[in-house]
Amino acid sequence: MPVYFLVTEAGVPSISEGILWAILGIPVFAFLIIFGLRQRIPELTSGYISIGAIAATLVLSIVVLFNVIGADGGIAIHTHNWLSIGDFDFNLGVRVDGLTAIMLIVVTSVATLVQIYSQGYMHGDPGYRRYYAYMSLFATSMLGLVLADNLLMLFVFWELVGLSSYLLIGFWFHKPSAAAAAKKAFIVTRIGDLGLLAALLLIGTRASTFQIDAIHELVLAGTLAGTTLTLFGLGIFAGAVGKSAQFPLHVWLPDAMEGPTPVSALIHAATMVAAGVYLVARFFPIFEASPDAREVVAWVGAITVAIGALIALVQTDLKRVLAYSTISQLGYMMLALGVFGYGAAVFHLFTHAFFKALLFLGSGSVNHATNTFDMGKMGGLRHTMPITFITFLIGSLSLAGIFPLAGFFSKDEILAEAWIENRTLYGIAAIAAFLTALYMFRAIFLTFFGEYKGGEVVPEEDKNIHFDGIPSVPHESSRVMTIPLLILTIGAIGAGWLAFGRTFHEFVEAALPEPPHHVVPFSYGIAISSSVIALSGIATAWVIYQKKLIPASEIYKTAFPFARLFEHKFGFDWLYEKIFVTRVFQQSWNRLIEQFDTRVVDAVVNASGTIVLVFAQGVRVVQNGQVQLYGVVLGVGLIAIVIIVFIANPL
Amino acid sequence: MTLTLEHFLTVSILLFAMGLVIALSKRNSIGILMGVELMLNAVNLVLITFARFGESTMSITGHAFVAFIITVAAAEAAVALALVISVYRTRGTIEVDRLKLLRF
Repeated sequence: MPVYFLVTEAGVPSISEGILWAILGIPVFAFLIIFGLRQRIPELTSGYISIGAIAATLVLSIVVLFNVIGADGGIAIHTHNWLSIGDFDFNLGVRVDGLTAIMLIVVTSVATLVQIYSQGYMHGDPGYRRYYAYMSLFATSMLGLVLADNLLMLFVFWELVGLSSYLLIGFWFHKPSAAAAAKKAFIVTRIGDLGLLAALLLIGTRASTFQIDAIHELVLAGTLAGTTLTLFGLGIFAGAVGKSAQFPLHVWLPDAMEGPTPVSALIHAATMVAAGVYLVARFFPIFEASPDAREVVAWVGAITVAIGALIALVQTDLKRVLAYSTISQLGYMMLALGVFGYGAAVFHLFTHAFFKALLFLGSGSVNHATNTFDMGKMGGLRHTMPITFITFLIGSLSLAGIFPLAGFFSKDEILAEAWIENRTLYGIAAIAAFLTALYMFRAIFLTFFGEYKGGEVVPEEDKNIHFDGIPSVPHESSRVMTIPLLILTIGAIGAGWLAFGRTFHEFVEAALPEPPHHVVPFSYGIAISSSVIALSGIATAWVIYQKKLIPASEIYKTAFPFARLFEHKFGFDWLYEKIFVTRVFQQSWNRLIEQFDTRVVDAVVNASGTIVLVFAQGVRVVQNGQVQLYGVVLGVGLIAIVIIVFIANPL
Repeated sequence: MTLTLEHFLTVSILLFAMGLVIALSKRNSIGILMGVELMLNAVNLVLITFARFGESTMSITGHAFVAFIITVAAAEAAVALALVISVYRTRGTIEVDRLKLLRF
């Protein structure tokens, strides 16, 4: 039975429930078919099944988008009772509104392009079918995550995207580094998920509902307030910190680059890592109502922005530059959410998905030609790979925030929001914007300009080479890879134009139970200053890495302590690995547990065994094999019982 | 002198006690079997007595039981004697105090 809630003046999308469930269900069928038949279907067919399924969901998502546009981004909820325990209802349902529609478009369009691109990138890989099966599983999980109308269902899909991320990071599990990275990603995100689970239990016990709209209403009515609200908000945010690679749980994302590059583009740049931002945006009324939780979100976001940008400066691996850049950009989104910039955050999520997926796919294309991600072994590729170069350049300009590309509009809005709310946060964000332009153009100058340095020689026995041709003679990738790049470029250029007339904002803000409290107008001051910041970043990169007026090694020497600090990623890995894992866990906590196990648990088990054994040794001499003795004992016993019964119950 | 319930029960108890003593004291397996038969017959006697002196003298439950027990006892004696022969063939003896392998 469909239930509708009308809480904003926007209409209710009339889209039929079946279409929404179909969006969720089609990729799971693709997954089951590919995984069920495995070797029985030809390799290419498995790819076509998966691409067909995701393309079908893309079409349906577009239908949903237009329907929701017709309703001005209003909310439609279709929920079904699944299980009732006491007076607690567990529901299964789908919810669609402006925010969901945008997420659906982002997920399905990027996923479709990435899967098409993968046909070229993964060509000839022994795990081709497995790859597409996992990709379909991921698509289902991610779509379920954005469609879920209650927190419990959202949590289930939240864990499922974590699982598919784990499977895809460890796709080349025979490489120890990939297996370790997969494990790290899973465990680190689980730490955040613990917070989400705690929030789930808290809301379940305090409010007896998991329905997102019901939670929103409780917050607006003031029933849910004070410490409970703050703790709930922080729990939700803890989940988002893990999934969106925010400080201090950002350490998994750079390692996740061990996965295939299209996976990095889809999961670790455009969609899954944005799920944390989506979650906070989904529960935005809670953060609006709880200043403490919002403050935490803003500062964690700001710290992440800075850390990501600084570490990206010194990376030599192209993909890791992009990974740290992603961390930094996700920090921007969190920062925006922390300064009431709901619309700005979702807008940046939207534009970032396109240009960051583009950049990752571009790096994959470069890797395909050179067999390496090490920028020290590249250079001069703009001549040999013109399409990759142009698209990568546009993606980088968009990321740096150059007018009129997508990144300009979304980043500008975040800076404007931060400027109004908190000047310190604005300062951090603005400096990071300079660094963003600097590290991206450092990567571009090292990769595409100067002399080509020969790539990486291919080892003979490597079965999983993802390159094509001869590394010393790089060439442009095949069309199946360049066309997705070109399509994403359109998004990287044009996605920002939706900012005009607040089109995008009004659309996604209709998903909130009440309109946001403050609207930040477009400010020429912010726009011009952020453009100047971005251009000066690009100019700095040009001076250092292209003109070489100031040699990079000189800067490195001058700023040695800082450079070392950035190279060691501020020591987070060292801290977690050596202090937490080794010292705290392996050497202290685990020893303690081990002692408890041997001295207490084992002792109880051994003692009970020993007692039985000693007793048995005394008793077993009775068992002497003389059958008549048994008879005597039996008879005497019987007589004794009869006598006792008679004494107890006299006639 | 009329025969009362007590007379029958006394005979039956004596018969059962004799059977029990024989079963527990004889070393020869066949002797033990005989003791068991005595105990069975003591029980039969009790059953038939209560059938006669019970509340409903028309009931044939006691008679039916006795007929069953006699039948089953015959079958049991046949099986038991077969076992005794088998034990004698393999072990060379039917003295139960020497058949004591099943012990700790």
